[in-house]
Amino acid sequence: MNIAVCICQVPDTASVIGFVDGKIDRSRVNEVMNPCDEYALEEAVCLKERFEGSIVTVFSVAPISAKEVLRKALAMGADRAVLVSNQVSDPFQTAQVLSSAMSMFYGGELPDLVFCGKHSTDFQNAQVPPMLAAMLGIPSVSGITALSASSERLKVEREIEGGIEYIETTYPALLSAEKGLNIPRKTSIRSVMEARKKTIEQLSVPPCENARVVMSSIEPLERKKICKFVSDEKELIRLLREERSLF
Amino acid sequence: MNKFLVFLEQREGIIKKSSIDIWNSVQELAAVQGNSILSGILVGPADLHQVEGSLFGDGAIFYASDEKFRLYNPGNYVRLVADTMKRESCTSLFFADTALSRDLAPKLSVCLQASLLSGCSIFDAATACGSCGRSVYSGLARASFVPERSFRIYTIMSRATQSSSVSSAHPVVIPLDQCSYIDGEELFPVVRRIVMHQGRPDVAEAAIIIAGGRGMGDANSFELLEKIALLLGGAVGASRQAVDEGWRPHSEQIGQTGKTVAPALYVACGISGAVQHLAGIGSARTVVAINTDPYAPIFDVADYGIVGDVHVVLHALYDALHDFLKRQ
Repeated sequence: MNIAVCICQVPDTASVIGFVDGKIDRSRVNEVMNPCDEYALEEAVCLKERFEGSIVTVFSVAPISAKEVLRKALAMGADRAVLVSNQVSDPFQTAQVLSSAMSMFYGGELPDLVFCGKHSTDFQNAQVPPMLAAMLGIPSVSGITALSASSERLKVEREIEGGIEYIETTYPALLSAEKGLNIPRKTSIRSVMEARKKTIEQLSVPPCENARVVMSSIEPLERKKICKFVSDEKELIRLLREERSLF
Repeated sequence: MNKFLVFLEQREGIIKKSSIDIWNSVQELAAVQGNSILSGILVGPADLHQVEGSLFGDGAIFYASDEKFRLYNPGNYVRLVADTMKRESCTSLFFADTALSRDLAPKLSVCLQASLLSGCSIFDAATACGSCGRSVYSGLARASFVPERSFRIYTIMSRATQSSSVSSAHPVVIPLDQCSYIDGEELFPVVRRIVMHQGRPDVAEAAIIIAGGRGMGDANSFELLEKIALLLGGAVGASRQAVDEGWRPHSEQIGQTGKTVAPALYVACGISGAVQHLAGIGSARTVVAINTDPYAPIFDVADYGIVGDVHVVLHALYDALHDFLKRQ
């Protein structure tokens, strides 16, 4: 079974996001693997361990600096890592480049399964996985929290507002992973050393269509409020009622 | 002439309140803009009496009432909505930001070659540029996005607000010819069944959220939060720490790796206020924080604060609320 996993890098949560001249200052940002992508990769590696002869390939559309994140993916159990160097500026372009890269890598065939993270923590669009599935022409389910795979069918669960959907689909399919799906393994020193020896394959695909969405501005968001401290619960209720029209 | 289409999402035959809110806000937008026509599309059988009087303004609601559309099926939904968009020459499509729309809208955007703007908190779709703004990078920044295509799709964060009435007119329901969308073949993925958690609103949709963090100490202490949530008709939320400790299910987690919420009232109990948690509550209208540490960062984003042991404060708060509501 050919399993493709899409990963991206995001600023780690402790990073300071600074601004210089209305642009993000990345100099103090430490990039890590997107948390949801770790669930996607873990699930792929678990399936590989179950279905003999499976090959897990990770794909990332990112600058060359993303090699470290791809090495981590190899250390976590991926067999091959592909860095796609095309410049992209919106989720549509990312999905299109991923789709071309997979088509090129698998020689026009479709992988049996594609895993993605539900969304990236920086922009939280959650657009790439369903877009990629639509471009590949395969069914997809977003934000899965449980998967049971047989050689014929995939049974998955996903959280919806106030409940759970139980969904069935066939191969090939794309599944995007949500927290709760599994607990990603820790990499051992040995696996990290072995990953160092593997090559990161580099791929460049023909340029994609124009971006469909452009970020026109970005500015720091000041969240500070002035907190009114109260010592009495009755007083709190009165304030919520009178100042905030609650209850 | 602007032609807008609003997707009215039903779950178990009930039209979602978030969809109704979006319908009403787009209706307001259309009224301000002038020269605009608003239509709706309701996919799957639903109780239309339930929304009588809550959908303001005029316009048509295209209704696909076949049982086959009751459960979400991406293949059938994409075909139905895309064809309706084209047939009615609509240029903008609006969704409430839900689990369903986050799956459906990207697929539709590929099919319609549309610009997709997800999770918009403020939007200006009536203007020529149709831009939308929202917070990014865990709520540390606000960005503005501009669609480049003439077809535009928006998923909009619902805020727990009441829209004011635009007109006394009411939309007309027009049944859709569904024959061409109903074929014998099963299109995967197929939702086999849905299991709903009973009794309480979901944390993503609740107007009042009582959330607990590590400071709650153990799983049992959340019973108190549940009692208060029940009293106020709200939902219980949790910080990542509380979920990772196994005290609460992941579905209640709020923050960067959990849900983004926009309640009218958010009560943070024993939550210190890490950036990752604050990422999920940026749109909460009123924030109350209860914490033993007066220097906890949660107080920097709170409107009201009580410094003290959460258990003691919550017991007193429960009793005070109970008395207060009894007197109402």
